[in-house]
Amino acid sequence: MTPRRIVFAVLIMALCIGALPLSAQDEGVTMTMWVRNIGDQVQELVDAWNDRGGSQIELTVIPPNEFVTKMGAAIAAGESPDIASIDLIYAPAFAAAGQLLDITDWVDALPYADDLIPAHSELGTYEGRKYAVPFLIEGSFIIYNKGLFEAAGLDPEAPPTTWDELLEAARAISAIGDETYGYYFAGACAGCNAFTYLPFIWASGGDVLSDDYSEATIATDPIVREALEYYRLMWEEGLIPEGASIDDGGSFVSAFGTGTIGMAGTGAFGINVYRNDHPELDLGAFHIPGKDGGAASFGGGDVIAIGSGTQHPEEAWEFLEWMMSDETQLELYAARNRTTVRVSMLENEYSKDDPLVLTAASALAVGKSPYSLVYNDLFNDPNGPWLEMIQIAILDGDIDGALQLGQDRFTQIIEG
Amino acid sequence: MTLQLESLSWEQRRKLTGLLFVLPTVLFVTVFFIIPLAMTVFMSFHDWPLIGEQSWIGTTNYTELAKDRQYLKSLDFTFRYTLFVTPPIFILGFILASLVRHNIRFIGIFRTIFFLPVVIGLGVSSLLWVWMLDQRVGIFNKILLDLHLIAKPQLFLAKPTTAMNVIILSVVWKTVGFTMILLLAGLQSIPDELYESADVDGAGYFRKLFYITLPLMRRTIALALILSVIGSVLAFDQFYIITRGGPRNSTISIVYWIFNNSFTYWKMGYGAAMSIVLLGILVALTSFQYYVLREKY
Repeated sequence: MTPRRIVFAVLIMALCIGALPLSAQDEGVTMTMWVRNIGDQVQELVDAWNDRGGSQIELTVIPPNEFVTKMGAAIAAGESPDIASIDLIYAPAFAAAGQLLDITDWVDALPYADDLIPAHSELGTYEGRKYAVPFLIEGSFIIYNKGLFEAAGLDPEAPPTTWDELLEAARAISAIGDETYGYYFAGACAGCNAFTYLPFIWASGGDVLSDDYSEATIATDPIVREALEYYRLMWEEGLIPEGASIDDGGSFVSAFGTGTIGMAGTGAFGINVYRNDHPELDLGAFHIPGKDGGAASFGGGDVIAIGSGTQHPEEAWEFLEWMMSDETQLELYAARNRTTVRVSMLENEYSKDDPLVLTAASALAVGKSPYSLVYNDLFNDPNGPWLEMIQIAILDGDIDGALQLGQDRFTQIIEG
Repeated sequence: MTLQLESLSWEQRRKLTGLLFVLPTVLFVTVFFIIPLAMTVFMSFHDWPLIGEQSWIGTTNYTELAKDRQYLKSLDFTFRYTLFVTPPIFILGFILASLVRHNIRFIGIFRTIFFLPVVIGLGVSSLLWVWMLDQRVGIFNKILLDLHLIAKPQLFLAKPTTAMNVIILSVVWKTVGFTMILLLAGLQSIPDELYESADVDGAGYFRKLFYITLPLMRRTIALALILSVIGSVLAFDQFYIITRGGPRNSTISIVYWIFNNSFTYWKMGYGAAMSIVLLGILVALTSFQYYVLREKY
């Protein structure tokens, strides 16, 4: 070896040795976490966790429409996250595929295990084992603009309680003119309408699926037809802005914020958005009504689970436990107008004087969440039967065609 | 190694050299085409969920295809789309190529401008169009309103026909430059002498076009058409991003439906079966085009 080569070799070795302590210095664990994009709440939570020191979480935010696809592909490629915040509706499908860690023992050991929001806990359970705990609690309800109610000569403190009352209110608000509309729905967003439109059917005693979710009841349940006719009437009368027909969810929240919409379906996530971005709006909230009264809500939101492929199950569970703890629930959930994951904390020192947050929380009492392994294909898929049926019925006015199509495609998907 | 090479005969060395030259391509085609194709065929005979256990189901996926209404609808839509989008791309490409054919001053600027949309990814250009078509902030509505051609902002994506038309417009804008470049190369390969002698004979523009230009560009035209048709049959990005298959699922192309089945409904085996059928259709279509446009002597 020439002297020059020896120097070169030594330099290379020094570089390699130098690199070793660098990786060793990176003490503590860094976990990956995925969430669909539904506001800043999760980022705030993760920042608070990371600020405590100890294990760190790297958050990846996925567009909501693509979550299932990306998560499925990541799992298939062996690159699933350590922690996943999953739309609760999909939890059974991921658990059934063996991709979530069984956390039954940990959950059962919690002193407040029975206090966790029931709908979310149920969806986090598969064949008797627990795979996920409640994380983001979203019961759907209707938010309304009190200023427009007043301008339309309606009593802003007496929101509608039946379909007819809601229709009359929408007519009165639309009659104000100036591009003002009584009602809003995102006409090209499948998930938005599962969240805010299905409850109109439920609250009236109807459903699109049988009780055990094994059959489609679209063509046989008269309430489904009436609900489609009801929205169709509002659409025909121009009580809903035309742009709603192509809203794929992008304006689901923001449309109401413009101040020209009287009423719109939303969830707890909407409260902070409207309060922060549109402090000028005087807001009220009421439960989604049934035809002749009653109320219903879609028990939505996310559950949180640990990926079965994780190298850091203990650290991941620590985060979940911290998230559900009294302090986090009070200071990072309740204090920020968010619905807590614990039933006994729904009414707390922050929410007790806040009618919006209380409406969001009490919506859960009438909340329902379909338990189906094919939920995505039925309801949330932008090309699925739920949205196509809604569009054909409400936007095109072909109610019979829509019901038949819905029934056929639902049946086809359920039967696999 | 050197010694061994020297012991080979000239013929053997020639063969070895040839093999070495084609080896990279052989490896590339094997790894990126033959193996994936074999895997796709294998998958198509399975119930193969994206996550979970797979099981052999024979030809069930293929028999299911015939019953899949949306698959047939998507095939129909894709071919209608191809039929509508190919002529404007070709004709406009030909006109542009004719315009920028001669090497005159600043012609490079025009060639670059016409070709520029091609270098943008289709996904990016689709997002651009989503924004341009928007009823509130889009430039199209702004222009049409300012010109008093419309009274209120139009929802271009609300109706199947207009949605299809704007997609065609976006794709023509995006891909016409590529066809132009292909045809330009063909045009420039025709010797000027032919046109000069035609001029002497008193031939007009259309005579020269039909008796000199088009016959001599047969190969180039075949290439441009085949590439354009294959691209259209495999269209996905623009429908996934601009229309999301809507309105009323009227713009779900065949590749979009394959994607949905494979990744949204997690039915990879079924998606694989559809891909194999589509491959067969494409091979048949391309062979047909090739046959029609072949050189005739």
